[in-house]
Amino acid sequence: MLSRVAASFYWLSRYIERSDGLLRMLKINYASSQDTVQEFTWEPVMRIFAGLDADEAEALENDSRAVLKYMVTGKNNSNSILNIITLARENARGVQEHITKDLWQCLNEYYHTVKDPRLDRALQREDPISVLDVLIKQVMLYYGTVEITMERGEGRAFMNIGKYLERAIQSVDILDTKFSSISENPDLLTDTTYWKHLLLSLGGYELYLKTYREGFESENVLEQVVLNVDFPRSVIYSVNNIQRYFDRLKNESNVDDYREMSFQIGRLQSRIKYSSVKSIKAEGLHLFLTQIRSELYSIGNSLNQHYFANS
Amino acid sequence: MEESAYFDKYSPIDNVWDEMYGTDANVREHYRKVIDYISKESADDLNKKEELAKRLFMSQGITFTVYNSGEGIEKIFPFDIIPRIITASEWAFVERGIKQRLTALNLFLKDIYHNQFIVKDGIVPIDIIYSCPHFLREMYQLQVPYDIYVHISGIDLIRDHDGTFYVLEDNLRTPSGVSYMLENREITKRLFPDLLPQCSVRSVTEYPSILYKNLLALSPRQIQNPTIVLLTPGIYNSAYFEHTTLARLMGVELVEGRDLVVNNHKVYMKTTTGLQQVDVIYRRVDDEFLDPLVFNPESMLGVAGLMGAYRKGNVAIVNATGTGVADDKAVYAYVPDMIRYYLNEEPVLKNVPTHQLGNPDERAYVFENLNKMVVKKTNGSGGYGMLMGHAASEQEIEDYKKEILKDPRNFIAQPTINLSAAPCYMQGSLKPRRVDLRPYALYGPDGIEIVPGGLTRVALKEGSLVVNSSQGGGSKDTWVLT
Repeated sequence: MLSRVAASFYWLSRYIERSDGLLRMLKINYASSQDTVQEFTWEPVMRIFAGLDADEAEALENDSRAVLKYMVTGKNNSNSILNIITLARENARGVQEHITKDLWQCLNEYYHTVKDPRLDRALQREDPISVLDVLIKQVMLYYGTVEITMERGEGRAFMNIGKYLERAIQSVDILDTKFSSISENPDLLTDTTYWKHLLLSLGGYELYLKTYREGFESENVLEQVVLNVDFPRSVIYSVNNIQRYFDRLKNESNVDDYREMSFQIGRLQSRIKYSSVKSIKAEGLHLFLTQIRSELYSIGNSLNQHYFANS
Repeated sequence: MEESAYFDKYSPIDNVWDEMYGTDANVREHYRKVIDYISKESADDLNKKEELAKRLFMSQGITFTVYNSGEGIEKIFPFDIIPRIITASEWAFVERGIKQRLTALNLFLKDIYHNQFIVKDGIVPIDIIYSCPHFLREMYQLQVPYDIYVHISGIDLIRDHDGTFYVLEDNLRTPSGVSYMLENREITKRLFPDLLPQCSVRSVTEYPSILYKNLLALSPRQIQNPTIVLLTPGIYNSAYFEHTTLARLMGVELVEGRDLVVNNHKVYMKTTTGLQQVDVIYRRVDDEFLDPLVFNPESMLGVAGLMGAYRKGNVAIVNATGTGVADDKAVYAYVPDMIRYYLNEEPVLKNVPTHQLGNPDERAYVFENLNKMVVKKTNGSGGYGMLMGHAASEQEIEDYKKEILKDPRNFIAQPTINLSAAPCYMQGSLKPRRVDLRPYALYGPDGIEIVPGGLTRVALKEGSLVVNSSQGGGSKDTWVLT
């Protein structure tokens, strides 16, 4: 497979996963903004998904409609849904003859939905949750189409590596942001709705209720989001899948490149697998998450170097 | 009769060949079934069909992007739902004419890049050749596989008021539009169920497999699975959709210049497992941008060292480089003479009479009669930089004259030809609009093959004679009947 094609598969998939995470986050945060007595702040979302610093975020943080506009259809925000989907589609366009026609049409539809001026208007005037739901459905449609139509080859392996790498980075970022807010505001530690919203935005609320009977505890949340191998948005689940799909490249790879990256991924996997909530707290959650994040980034860099010919 | 709804109001343009109406204002026999079919549909149904066509083009991404103030706007190439129909005998004539013309043009290229007999025998003046920017010294004495230079051509044909076919221009470099021939047919199948088989329309689906067979035959390495690639300028090119369609239909790799690298006069593509040698390149990048070491050094679209590999015979390039010298509009005037010279035959397809403005006598004549002329740049394309004498203002004519005098060699003039008209569906009624025809000829080791069909371009603006998509043109599905 051409290196450029592999890179496009990988980035297409990362962008779509990013849009999915962002949309869910926006939906839950909007809902919770309608449900609080005090002033609701969008600051954490803006920090995770738009890379805004405190001052920039401050200008917007209390105005839900303005945040939604900035994050969904904002032209000047390089991480708005509009810009992410444009990039995803450009990557797909570059590999159009490698993806199925169904998938191309599905992406096209997603793109045209976001571009539609009616969406922007509805976001400002009507119920934003309905608008976000329309977009979330587009992502689900995308994943369904990939599942049903894409061949199980090298291309899909690169797509999945991109998807799970993006997902792992997101979960790490969300945890890091949410837990660091606690150190500034310890009251949150016992705030049930705070944890409930965190879990809802990761789609892990129901699983949590089934797993833990004793109400919302920050340690349980941490355990589920980092260490639960059955939770599809946990860090360990994502890293296991990176390992799994990287393994599929074995026969299509240069031996040395494969061995080096396999070592790198395996090391990260073990680092998480053989951690516990206790050990993580002992070394410091922030430090732990920072290390994991930097390992995830370096996997991205190694792919660039060994597989995408972009060293 | 039923058909009155659309057809009573249809008024053919005076002194213009109408593809649907005969001279006695009767529908030509080959349009009869289509007209009967359409007459049964209400205007509402036809509007729905038009809507469906637009939606199909849009959702399949059959679009080109116009970049405006940093924002890409997706546009579809306008499509008219009424097919353009060509009879079996008309097609047989066109096919014979194109085969003859292409054979001669290919012999001309071989001659010009080798012994130049045609120049020595005084048929074509040498200054016309050497002043052509598409003449490449790099091609001199180069042996190309099977002596074929023009593997793919899209020769544009038009019809004058009496229905005679003329060649408007020979597109021998990287002619585009063939994906629209294929997609328009797919859309028509959806719009008019059962109509194609009823009318016994010949299929065009063979095109990709014929092209693939020809590309395969050109591989310099005698191996089981030569690597064939289609080289595209990238996703921002307006024909990118076509490049992906062809790559997909042939099952070849679509590459950009940055995917290729030349080492030791061999071309490789960069893959996830390392470098893989490339044998045949169907390039959709112009000569000028193909190799920054030989041509435009600023080019990011090509591959450094590609021409070296080509001259060594380690890779085949389709079409060969340097074919532009044969479709130069100044050389065009000599094509009938070439046919007589190389083939000892009379040309089947006529040329439009062409005046070389480099010649002072002809220039004087053209300046006298500019209002009846079309003036074009010899190396222009896409309908840019043309002067339509009958529609231009005096000021425009004066300005254009000044432009011509700066470099007369770069201009030719032709009398205005009344392009034939075909019915188009326009908001509830049928209107005649001017059309041309571009059949695609494939030249391989087995000879020339022309898929029965082609691209009919149509000038959608009332009264317009310019069919180029950049100037408000659209296209139609083109039927060749058995």
